[in-house]
Formats: sequence, structure tokens, C-alpha cells
Amino acid sequence: MIQINPIIRLVNRNLTISINPGFIIWQILFPLIYIFIAGFAYTALIDSVPFGGKNLDYPAFLASGMIGFNIMNSTLISGIIIWNDRRHGMFEQIMSGPFTRTHYILSNIVTIAIIGLFSAALITAVGYPVFFNSVEFSIVTILLIIFGSVVGAILFGSIASIISTKLRSSEGFNVIINTVFLFCAFASTAFYPVQGAPQPLATIFYLNPLSYLVDIIRAGIFGQVTDFVITEMLLLIALAAILFVIATKLLTKLDF
Amino acid sequence: MLCIETRNLTKKYASTVAVDGVDLQIESGQVFGFLGPNGAGKSTIIKLLTTLISPSNGKISVLGMDSAKHPLEIRKKIGVVLQQPSYEPTLSAEKSLEKYGMMWNIDKKIRKKRTEELISAFGLEEIRKKKMDDLSIGQRRRVQVAREFMHDMELLFLDEPTVGLDPAARRKLLDFLREQVKNSGLTIFYTTHVLSEAEYLCDNIAIINNGKIIAVDSPSELKNRFGHEKTIKIHISKVSEELKSKLSEIRECQIKLEPEPTVIINSTKSEIVLMNILKILNETETKINDLSAIPTNLEEIFLKIVGDSN
Ligand SMILES: Nc1ncnc2c1ncn2[C@@H]1O[C@H](COP(=O)(O)OP(=O)(O)OP(=O)(O)O)[C@@H](O)[C@H]1O
Ligand SMILES: [Mg+2]
Repeated sequence: MIQINPIIRLVNRNLTISINPGFIIWQILFPLIYIFIAGFAYTALIDSVPFGGKNLDYPAFLASGMIGFNIMNSTLISGIIIWNDRRHGMFEQIMSGPFTRTHYILSNIVTIAIIGLFSAALITAVGYPVFFNSVEFSIVTILLIIFGSVVGAILFGSIASIISTKLRSSEGFNVIINTVFLFCAFASTAFYPVQGAPQPLATIFYLNPLSYLVDIIRAGIFGQVTDFVITEMLLLIALAAILFVIATKLLTKLDF
Repeated sequence: MLCIETRNLTKKYASTVAVDGVDLQIESGQVFGFLGPNGAGKSTIIKLLTTLISPSNGKISVLGMDSAKHPLEIRKKIGVVLQQPSYEPTLSAEKSLEKYGMMWNIDKKIRKKRTEELISAFGLEEIRKKKMDDLSIGQRRRVQVAREFMHDMELLFLDEPTVGLDPAARRKLLDFLREQVKNSGLTIFYTTHVLSEAEYLCDNIAIINNGKIIAVDSPSELKNRFGHEKTIKIHISKVSEELKSKLSEIRECQIKLEPEPTVIINSTKSEIVLMNILKILNETETKINDLSAIPTNLEEIFLKIVGDSN
């Protein structure tokens, strides 16, 4: 049986070492500023975006995409924690204490789910005036945002873990993880709608799990849960499960 | 009670046998020293005993538990200071202790109290608010060792804990460890390259080379067994011709006239030789001014044992 208590203690420690001014600026201020500046700047270029049966203002479209983007971004934390723990000897120290590798992995997932959920909630709250015209707020909205935060945390957290266990030098780690996440961010439906994109790009959009995540959250906010969105949810769960198993295997094999 | 027991413990890496069929039996309530040259397998044994890595072969029992079956239960009762540094770069020294206590599920009040006690015991007052990233190597090492005493344990592994410590900090640490063993019945498994340290601290010592244990005993027994060529100096008033001729029959001694008349005994059985010489001095009515024995140090023994085993 997995004990909860050790996981909570590790989460406490993870949050203590991760939350600092730099992180807060990157994780919370930047997305908010971006929503307002970019959202309104682009309104001149992009009139409205069709989503489901609705037409959304670009700022509303962008703000909802930013929630998914931010969930993905908060999972960087997990990669950084694992990376730093290996570099500064804390991984071995924790593993020689009253913890197992499963505790360690789960605590990272919980940490990023908490950070993801918190920043998602914050952006939703601050973005609310932007969504106002088209929002269909209901219990489903909350459930889908929670779903997105948790499944997104597992999925992208596993990707970050896999990268951090595979690399030795810190430059390599930063370059690769930023490249992967930047690619995920821009080749997704977070910033632009798939409608109107050229066919090859549209295909790439839907090879990218962030597009699914963003679609699901938008569906929650604008009340457009279709069969397609449910398929996306199932795909996201499957992918998150596979990546989680791989990440766990790699972390378990990590030698000292 | 046996605290650590291994049978045929072996750890192989691709091309090296880091630990080669080690049988250890360590009683609780002592400081057990582990000495050996670089690459002898000391750290690998610590990683095996603390369940960080698993053996290629053999059995390990720690605190009466099989390490293959109950690794987590073992880890809950031990403390480990590994050879490599380990720290949270963004936390202050004080916060590092505090958070480490939290990770070990220590009650908040006790945590606060212990943090203060350890800050004073390890002389960390001046650096308590400094970030770990900004500390010197020795300061960081002190925090790392202090941190391990935030939680209760029955057995503590220390892999070269004094590396980088200045002489005062080193002595302070050794005395602190002695105190802990005396007061709380803690068992310490201690590796070091500083032999005077091992001699000062350890009740028993194992010497390891090429993954094999080549000697286990108390420091004084090791000296008895391997401390060959003990030197005894007898300062005498004068050297007569009679004395010279009588002493010339004893091979293990020599006479020196400068700076003062001295008989020097150099032998593996110097005590027996001494008896014979005292008899001669008596017969020749030579007065003894002073007598001194130069003890063999552990360093010489270490070099000899490791040299022989190679
Ligand atoms: N992960 C590893 N992979 C391959 N070989 C290893 C590994 N870890 C240790 N070794 C080898 O095992 C042997 C024992 O290493 P160990 O670290 O136990 O030595 P040590 O006695 O602690 O030395 P030192 O005094 O330098 O700390 C060495 O030859 C080392 O190269
Ligand atoms: Mg070592």
C-alpha cells in the first residue's frame, strides 16, 4: 500500500524549494500580461475565432489557451526538481531516507498538479472579464479544468522527468526541455485556431498533446463538450498513463 | 546485538568487482571504522548497506532486517551522510535543517529545538541565514552532517564526513559523535582516510582493499598484530666498554652516543628485548635517566597491511 504521508511531506519540500520570485513572475505574471497585451493587440488582426458552435473574441480564445499552456509550463517544475536533486545529491539523500521512488514520483506529480491548478484557477479568475461574452460557467467547467490540471501534470510532468533522467549536463537539460515545450506551445491550438491553418500544420497541431489539453479546457469554459472533446480526453489519459509508466521505469532504473 | 551482518556480499560493475565477498559482523553501540585506499569499495558498501543499490550476490541484514525484503523499514531507522555533497541550493542553512526534519516527520516543536541545538553544536551561528549555494565547501559539509541529526536513528553511516573541515570543526565533530554514541547508544559506521581520526573515534576498524576485507580489529589490537618494529629508547648516564660488549650480543639494539648516550631498541618483540637489556644495564650498574617508547601509529600499520595485500 502506498502511504500518503511521505508524499505530502515531499510535496511540502518541493513547494518550498520551487516557489521563488523568479518562478512567480514566469508562471503567473507573464501569462497574465501576455493575455492582455497580446490578446488585445491581435484583436485588430483576428476578428473572431470559431469554436464549436460559437464565435469567440481572440482575447477570450487566447486566455483560455493560456490556461492549458500554463499547466504545461508548470510541469517544467518537476523536471527542474528532479534535475536539481540529482545535481545537488538530494535524490540519493531522499532515496536513502524514509521514502520510495514511487513516493518521489507521485510527490512531483502532485506538486505540479497543485501549481498547475493554482495558476489555472488564477488565470480563469483574472481572465473572466475577457471570457465574459461567451463563457458558460458550470460545474463542468471546474471539473474539466481540474481534469486538465491533473492529467496535464502527469503527461507533461512525465515528459520533463524522462528528459531530466536522460541527460547529464545542465545546458543540455535546459535547451532540450525548452525546445520541446516551445514546440508544444506554438504547434498547438493554444495561440491560434486550427481552422484556417494549412493542412500539414493542422496535422501537427493534433499530434501535440497540448492541443488536446487546450481543447478540453476551452470546451469546459465555453460549454462545448462534444464527442470529439471526449475522444481527446480519453487519448490524453492514455498518453499520460503510457508516459507515466515510462518515466517511472526510467527513474527506478536510475543508478547511484 | 548485531547491527549489521553481511554474507558473501558482492557488487560487480561492468568491468570491476567493487565489493568482493565481504563478510561483516558489526555489534551495536560502537563506532565502526572503515578504512581503505581510493577505490577500495568503501562507498559502494555504504550504498549497499543503506539499500541505495542492490548487491550482485550475497545477503545483507541491517538492524535484524533483510535488506532485500525490507529496504524501506531499514531506511526509516538509519541516517546517511554520503560522500558526495547533498544540499538544497535555495534554502538557508537553518531552513535546510528545519525542512529536513519535516521530511523525517519530526514534530514541529522538536524540529525547532533540534535546529537550535545543532546550529550551536556544529558552530553554524554565523551562517544560519546564508543560502546553501553561497556557503563554502566545508560549511556545506557541516550543515550536511548536522542535518542528519535532525531525526532519530539507530544506525548512522558517515562516508568521510570530515573532508573539507578545518581542524577545530573536525575535532568538534568527532567529540559530538562520541557523545552521541555514549548517550543514545547509536551505532556509527564511519569511513575515513585520516587514520588518527579513526584511532581517536573508532572502537573497531576494518581495513578493505580491492573490495576485500583484509583485517578487522580494535585499533590497539591492530597495532599489536601488525605494529612491528616498535621503538624504545633508553637514555643512560654513560656507556662503559663492558656494556658495549654485552649489548653487542643483542642484535635488535644499537647504541648511540650523541646527543646523549642512548640505547635504541627496534624490534617486533621490543618488550622482551627490553627485559634482557634492563638485566644487562643492571649488571653493568648503568644508571637509567629516562625511558621512552615511540608508539607505532595506525598510518604505518595501514600502509603495511594494504601493501602486503597488494
Ligand atoms: N556506478 C559505478 N559504475 C562503475 N564502477 C563503479 C561505480 N561505482 C563505483 N565503481 C567502482 O567501484 C570501485 C569502488 O568504488 P568506491 O566508490 O566504493 O571506492 P571508495 O573506497 O569509496 O573510494 P574513495 O576512498 O575514493 O571514496 C572503484 O573501482 C570504482 O571505480
Ligand atoms: Mg568513497
